[in-house]
Amino acid sequence: MMLPDTLKEQALAGAALLDKELQEQAKQQSPHASNGLSAVRDAGRVALAEQVFPDKKVEQWKYTSLLALQNGHLKALADKTSSTVSAPDFGGVTLTIINGRLPALLPEIDGVTFSQEAVDQSAQAESVFSHYNAATLRAALTIKVAKGTHVAEPLHLIIISESDSPASAAVRLHIEAADNSTFTVIEHYVGSGPTLCSSTTSLYAGANSNVQHYRLQSETPESLHIGELSIHQQRDSRVASYQLMQANTLRRNNVRVWMNESGADLVMRGVFIARNKTHVDNQICIEHAAPHCTSDQIFKGIAGESGKAVFNGRIHIHPGAKGSDAKLSNKNLLLSNGAEIDSKPELEIYNDDVKCAHGTTVGQMDSQQQFYLQSRGISAEAAKRMLGVGFINELLMALPNERVAEWARDWLSASL
Amino acid sequence: MSNQAELDKLVRSEYSAGFTTSVESDTLPPGLNEGVIRFISEKKGEPDWVLEWRLAAYKKWLEMKTPTWAHIHHPPIDFNEVSYYSAPRSMADKPQSLDEVDPELLRTYEKLGIPLHEQEMLAGVAVDAVFDSVSVATTFRSKLKESGVIFCPLSEAVHEYPELIKKYLGSVVPQGDNYYAALNSAVFSDGSFVYIPKGVRCPMELSTYFRINEAKTGQFERTLIIADEGSHVSYLEGCTAPQRDENQLHAAVVELIALPGATIKYSTVQNWYPGDAEGRGGIYNFVTKRGVCHDNAKISWTQVETGSAITWKYPSVILRGDNSIGEFYSVALTRNRQQADTGTKMIHLGKNTKSTIISKGISAGRSENAYRGLVRISPRAENARNFTQCDSLLIGDQCGAHTFPYIESRNPSATLEHEATTSKVSDDQLFLCRQRGIDPEKAVSMIVNGFCKEVFKELPMEFAVEAGKLLEVSLEGSVG
Repeated sequence: MMLPDTLKEQALAGAALLDKELQEQAKQQSPHASNGLSAVRDAGRVALAEQVFPDKKVEQWKYTSLLALQNGHLKALADKTSSTVSAPDFGGVTLTIINGRLPALLPEIDGVTFSQEAVDQSAQAESVFSHYNAATLRAALTIKVAKGTHVAEPLHLIIISESDSPASAAVRLHIEAADNSTFTVIEHYVGSGPTLCSSTTSLYAGANSNVQHYRLQSETPESLHIGELSIHQQRDSRVASYQLMQANTLRRNNVRVWMNESGADLVMRGVFIARNKTHVDNQICIEHAAPHCTSDQIFKGIAGESGKAVFNGRIHIHPGAKGSDAKLSNKNLLLSNGAEIDSKPELEIYNDDVKCAHGTTVGQMDSQQQFYLQSRGISAEAAKRMLGVGFINELLMALPNERVAEWARDWLSASL
Repeated sequence: MSNQAELDKLVRSEYSAGFTTSVESDTLPPGLNEGVIRFISEKKGEPDWVLEWRLAAYKKWLEMKTPTWAHIHHPPIDFNEVSYYSAPRSMADKPQSLDEVDPELLRTYEKLGIPLHEQEMLAGVAVDAVFDSVSVATTFRSKLKESGVIFCPLSEAVHEYPELIKKYLGSVVPQGDNYYAALNSAVFSDGSFVYIPKGVRCPMELSTYFRINEAKTGQFERTLIIADEGSHVSYLEGCTAPQRDENQLHAAVVELIALPGATIKYSTVQNWYPGDAEGRGGIYNFVTKRGVCHDNAKISWTQVETGSAITWKYPSVILRGDNSIGEFYSVALTRNRQQADTGTKMIHLGKNTKSTIISKGISAGRSENAYRGLVRISPRAENARNFTQCDSLLIGDQCGAHTFPYIESRNPSATLEHEATTSKVSDDQLFLCRQRGIDPEKAVSMIVNGFCKEVFKELPMEFAVEAGKLLEVSLEGSVG
């Protein structure tokens, strides 16, 4: 059987099994546990049955193979209530999700409501994995920040996937920051074992809101993660999204930002590091659907020792989106033979009154800089690490949350 | 506001090469099958192996699907509506010299500004004139022969230099390379064949002028250029077609082979009929152009694309040898409802290989203009170097300008740079020019010419002048 068919069969079987388990659980518990999830799962399974899993002939999956998934990842992880995996403390309120299960008690923050409502995200589905996510949800988390609320402390979501054998956990986050609100959210994915994390996050930034968003992916190298992130910006909203990641067996992020009303501003920064047979693939698309919006993206990538890093950054200026200002920079370091970097910055522009630019480079460590350090008694290994950290430090230093920046520097330099 | 009016005027200018030549032609009825391929092969008196080669390509083509990845939209092409062979009747008895060629044909080329009588020509340019499916005349052949350069129609080369053709035909673009290349391999008609012997610097520019004349025909020429060790050649290509309401198909293949130390410079000014303001008619231009560079060789593509309803074209270089160099300089102008998806591929295989890509896209009216490129550094390509620059200029708010660059690096000693910008003819620039007494049309033309300068300076002198003028004419009325 061809890989796409095998995966589909496994995904459908896995989803059906989980659904059965959850329905039986629901029967035993009181009826109020129902939160519409069962309907979302049903719809997800129907959509999944109609979809085809992509192979390398599909343009968006040209550089990423799904071969790693056939080891049985497409079935649900066992239910867990506690975990041995730890995550750093960045201050603020924390909420821990383990193998797709929410804690019994949701945190309380003034002006912020937490609920288990599953928001339908099928309209924004980027791939068959959105439907797989819907079909295998144990829980969903919706966070609403009320109008004019200023939340000073960050909300820290720790999302853990843990298992000894291949299996997957689905996570669905929906965050709405209403008009004039200020909010910071940190999505931190951690875990252990050969797990597949299937995540979908949608973030709505209301008019004149100010949202800081962190997406940290520090799962172990043997894990897999296929994630989707959509950001929707209203008039004059400001969103800053920081995406730091270490590659693993298969890491894929589909990110789409909709600038729906004029004056929206987006800053996006990303760092990805792929070493030792790991893979990372970021597909970013910025939809400039309204006039006078600005977007500014900088992504830096490092690949070494048969690691593979893929970056696709698309800027789409819709007809009528005059006065758009879009920038994208993708700089990459290729450290050794056997490593690979594939970068595709795309522009699709349907208006003349715009400023758009993108730049991409692929290069290596500067041998003179390395020599300089070595001539001062620093070992070759350490010199390389210093230069690697120097390469990404520009972005880390600009992170507004110092605790995240500090932790990220240690984490990323350890992986160099 | 007056600026806008001027721009509009510039965009709406007419196509000057749109006349038809009334000569009697032998044209195959539309349709494609094995019989048609056998007919073409027989008409050209080809040896059996060429026919077999064609039929093998046809078999492959039948199994292939129309590619849909390009950023172009058109109704499906009915390949049975196209006539695959058309030749002026007067060419049937193979005129021996220019005096025997139908004067009507010569007048056509004169009208297009390409006199075929040697004494009238710019000394230093040899021309192969291709009219529908046959080559009408090739000038300066004897003079070229003195230095050992072979320049003749491919249909003749098949007979006269079979060993070269056998060795190199399809060696760069194989029969089944892609949908349109396979179609071309099956039904290719005339094209040029060039061979430059070892160490020879070709004494003059070589050039081919392609003209489609008959209605409902397609043109499927095939060009093969071989530059032997240490040789040098500069080759120019021009094309036009009459103004018709139907879409005509042009699917060409160009293969370049630069042996060690050789240099090939290939320049194109493509001005096929682009269709009218509403997008009716025009040529569908699906072209496969590729060159192979051996050690220390260099291939340079320069193109100015102003015509065709659809341009689908990616002149590429395979940098197989060490220290080889590939270059691509392109200006693509689209207006009205033209669509262009063009760019290049630079495949770095050898050590110390270098490539430069400069692409300038100008889109006006309701047109779509896309750059699509690939730079691939293979694991063995030590110290490979690439620089890519793609700039787009938009004129009007209903056109599209797109960039799809693929960058793949698998060698840590390679350095790749890519940058792209998008801009418009700004009011400030226009104001500055007008303040100095330059009328808006001239001002826009100056700005556009400045935008394209990096590419124009790569063109041979005669072509650079022509390209500049062509751009001026094409832009006429697009300025406001």
